[in-house]
Amino acid sequence: MKKRYTSLVLAAAVSAAVLAGCGGSKPQTAAPAQTSGQDSTQGVADAGELSGEITFWHSFTQGPRLETLQKAADKFMTENPEVKINIETFSWNDFYTKWTTGLASGNVPDMSTALPAQVAEMINVDALTPINDLIDDIGRDKFAEAAIAEGSMDGNNYSIPLYRHAHVMWIRKDLLEENGLEVPATWDELYETAKTLTKDGVYGLSFPCGTNDFQATFFLDFYVRSGGGSLLTEDLKADLTSDLAIEGINYWVKVYNDCSPKDSINFDVLDQATLYYQGKTAFDFNSGFQISGVAANSPDLLQYVDCYPIPKISAGDETEGIMTTNTPMVVWKASKHPEICKAFMKTLYDEDTYVEFLHATPVGMLPAIKGIADTESYKDDETIQQFTHAEEVLTAAADIGTAFGYEHGPNVQAGIMQNNHVVEEMFQDIITNGTDVETAAKTAEDKLNALFETAE
Amino acid sequence: MAKKNYTRWLFVLPAMVIVIALFIYPICSSVLYSFTNKNLIKATYKFIGFKNYVEVFKDSGFWLSFFHSLKWTVLSLAGQIVVGFTAAMALKRIEVGKGVYKTLLIIPWAFPSIVIAFSWKWILNGVYGFLPNILLKLGICETTPQFLTSGTMAFITLVMINIWFGAPMIMVNVLSALETVPRDQYEAAQIDGARPWQSFYYVTVPHIKMVVGLLVVLRTVWIFNNFDLIYLITGGGPAGSTQTIPLYAYNMGWSTKLIGRSSAVTVLLFIFLMIICGIYFAVINKWEREESK
Amino acid sequence: MKKVKTGSVISHTYLILLTFVSVFPLVWILISSVKGKGELTGNPTAFWPRTWTLDYYIHVIKDLNFFVNIKNSVIISLVTTLIAITVASLAAYGIVRFFKKLGSAMSKVLVTTYIFPPILLAIPYSVIMGKMGLINTRVGLIIVYLSFSVPYAVWLLTGFFRTVPVEIEEAARIDGANKMQTFVQVVLPLVAPGVVATAIYTFINTWNEFLYALILMNNTSKMTVAVALRSLDGAEILDWGDMMAASALVVLPSVIFFCLIQNKIAGGMADGAVKS
Repeated sequence: MKKRYTSLVLAAAVSAAVLAGCGGSKPQTAAPAQTSGQDSTQGVADAGELSGEITFWHSFTQGPRLETLQKAADKFMTENPEVKINIETFSWNDFYTKWTTGLASGNVPDMSTALPAQVAEMINVDALTPINDLIDDIGRDKFAEAAIAEGSMDGNNYSIPLYRHAHVMWIRKDLLEENGLEVPATWDELYETAKTLTKDGVYGLSFPCGTNDFQATFFLDFYVRSGGGSLLTEDLKADLTSDLAIEGINYWVKVYNDCSPKDSINFDVLDQATLYYQGKTAFDFNSGFQISGVAANSPDLLQYVDCYPIPKISAGDETEGIMTTNTPMVVWKASKHPEICKAFMKTLYDEDTYVEFLHATPVGMLPAIKGIADTESYKDDETIQQFTHAEEVLTAAADIGTAFGYEHGPNVQAGIMQNNHVVEEMFQDIITNGTDVETAAKTAEDKLNALFETAE
Repeated sequence: MAKKNYTRWLFVLPAMVIVIALFIYPICSSVLYSFTNKNLIKATYKFIGFKNYVEVFKDSGFWLSFFHSLKWTVLSLAGQIVVGFTAAMALKRIEVGKGVYKTLLIIPWAFPSIVIAFSWKWILNGVYGFLPNILLKLGICETTPQFLTSGTMAFITLVMINIWFGAPMIMVNVLSALETVPRDQYEAAQIDGARPWQSFYYVTVPHIKMVVGLLVVLRTVWIFNNFDLIYLITGGGPAGSTQTIPLYAYNMGWSTKLIGRSSAVTVLLFIFLMIICGIYFAVINKWEREESK
Repeated sequence: MKKVKTGSVISHTYLILLTFVSVFPLVWILISSVKGKGELTGNPTAFWPRTWTLDYYIHVIKDLNFFVNIKNSVIISLVTTLIAITVASLAAYGIVRFFKKLGSAMSKVLVTTYIFPPILLAIPYSVIMGKMGLINTRVGLIIVYLSFSVPYAVWLLTGFFRTVPVEIEEAARIDGANKMQTFVQVVLPLVAPGVVATAIYTFINTWNEFLYALILMNNTSKMTVAVALRSLDGAEILDWGDMMAASALVVLPSVIFFCLIQNKIAGGMADGAVKS
């Protein structure tokens, strides 16, 4: 009897050792020559045959985007029979836990998607490999300079934008029309309009400040940046106590009290967006993903959906750039096969594959490389044709915005501010405990600055 | 003699190997980290003495979480025992339908924490939830009640959910302990003219206090250490009003990435639980000695 | 006589109330999972579905491949339970029978490990598993699960083994059986109910475990049900219908299992506890 237990324990230990050995040490033997994907390997890996196993983490957990990426990986594997691509997916929220724990335990992927603000953190702890050669290979001039700059440090480019989107104001045309209201252009108009529309089971505008997401940080940022301000000072300290920020905090608390479902205090982005998808909110701030969300949840409402620029403080103000997200892909330093990662990434930008990927969430994902938007194949999509106005608004906003907190250039502080939920806690504190706005803002600011210090 | 000593070890060896192998590293590394400035995503760290402990003790958030943990444990445990106990007494009392009740009453126990979280979040959802909307419709509440999102109610709601989940286990165990009480002792007490509460106190309690005592130990540790339920239902919010020590440690470790300080918190938590369990066991041992007298 | 009656009326009323509260979430999960599209959010207070649909189930099973996760959970929980129970039975018996003095020290060590906050262990485990290449594998998760299953099982089982009178074993020993034979042939059958009860506890604890599975498993196809369910919440489309259907798939088997074996768990722990 006892022998069996011993052998079980032994078996566990042995399999552990075996698995550890398999970790990434697949022999890089020369592979039989038969590849049709030569052009995808040119320049990046001129060694010829690619062989090895890579792990690709991305956050498109279901639906067409997951499928197109899988398809691209399958295609790549057929063209390079010695290559194996393991795709692992988890939500954006879990992704942060995963890569941070992964760095501690030595378990990061070979390549992954990322959130822009996290790329700076990754670079800061030296977790990424430069991919200048990949960008040059695809054509540096095809990308927006700002998008490449977001993931660059000391002349090295660590990230490549997969697609881009911008945050804008989403509206419901039918609700505005029924009530004889105009599309608001200033924050005050927005508040008044949203308040009027808060009736009959519809909320004017939900203000999400759940601490498992960074929505409130974004919403406050929209307000502050629309007035030409910033949540970070020039020397990258948190700034929540500027007049503009205090005004913004007060504004959103007012919106929460008068136009928002009370549960939104715990909302993350999905809870928030779902309300709009279900036709329960009249306004929302989000990217072009709203369109596919409404299409999936309430197809009848799709015709009433449209977007406009983020409001201004006063009507005559200049249009400020606000939030553009260039969703990046990165190659991890721990990878044994950066050449495979780069070769595979390159294939994602082949016109056919790329357009198919963008069409997975039409208008939600705007092309990150120039020229694609004008191609016939890109325009050949019902949703893109139906939402030309929305796409114009989104593109215009994307052209002038920056990633969150990058208005003074890429920095680590933005990621910390975005991922530590300090602003969300501040809002919850004000709403739940009735804490004075200036006191709460000062506390949150100090807390953020203390966090910034620990990161250095 | 030597042979005997050798074989007896074979029985306990596998378990000892597993336990030692699985605990020695985590314990050592946690204690070690608690004296360093280790950051989750950085490879290098240096020793900083007791600074983490000092910082933790200075943080009002820690004390607030500690207070929440105490409140969470005491209220949940008390509620579970009261409900579990009364349910067991009621079951003992009735004759018809005992099996049906028992089967239905243990259902919450079968819920994994994620399903507990989903089902209650759905029922109590402030926009689409059944309970808030029905209360509103019936005119019992004027506005949608915020079970999980108001600073005053979220904590109570969580405790209620924990009672809902934990009471069946107490009930089942108390019930089977009650079955061990010899009937004739009740009859004897009745003949002596004991009132119901007296026979409860003098006959029932001595028989079941051992079971209840052990359950209390188990449950205390479980509830105090519990992370999933709160993390999945409120995540510690709103405004930290449901943040207990395990959540505080989690946030310290993963959001702020201060693994050193997070380790200090968990080491403190462990020491605290050791003390509590020491007290419990002292009491239980005393009962045991009294019993054997 | 009359007194007994009011007593049982009160008892019944109380029990009915409790039963209602106990059962409601399960009922609500089941009802929500079959309501037609739009009904969940459109009409929150309606109890009965207006149209019935199995769409959510089909979506969860076919598109999200939920059965794979159920399979993972079953394998991981079963293997953990099997290893934990064999190891723990031996240890518990050894402690009770052969270590009169050391035994209580050993039990104390085991109880201490139960006290360890899982949150304290999570990072060190992810580091070890990372080094051994066991992240994202069932083996890794099973090893980690042994950390809480073995001590807990030993602790419960020592209680049961104490109930076995030493005389029975002595009789067997006189007949020429060695220690292991005595254990397997004589002692184990006597404590079988206790072993079953402990096995059930272990199984449930591993089936429900969340934190380690969240941290150690990466791939959707490797996740246990608890984590796969939660990933629905963070998915790109928040669909309460999917979440309810998946919840039903996870919780229904457990509920049925629980109801079937309820008498075993009932007796089990109390017996062990009383005598320990």
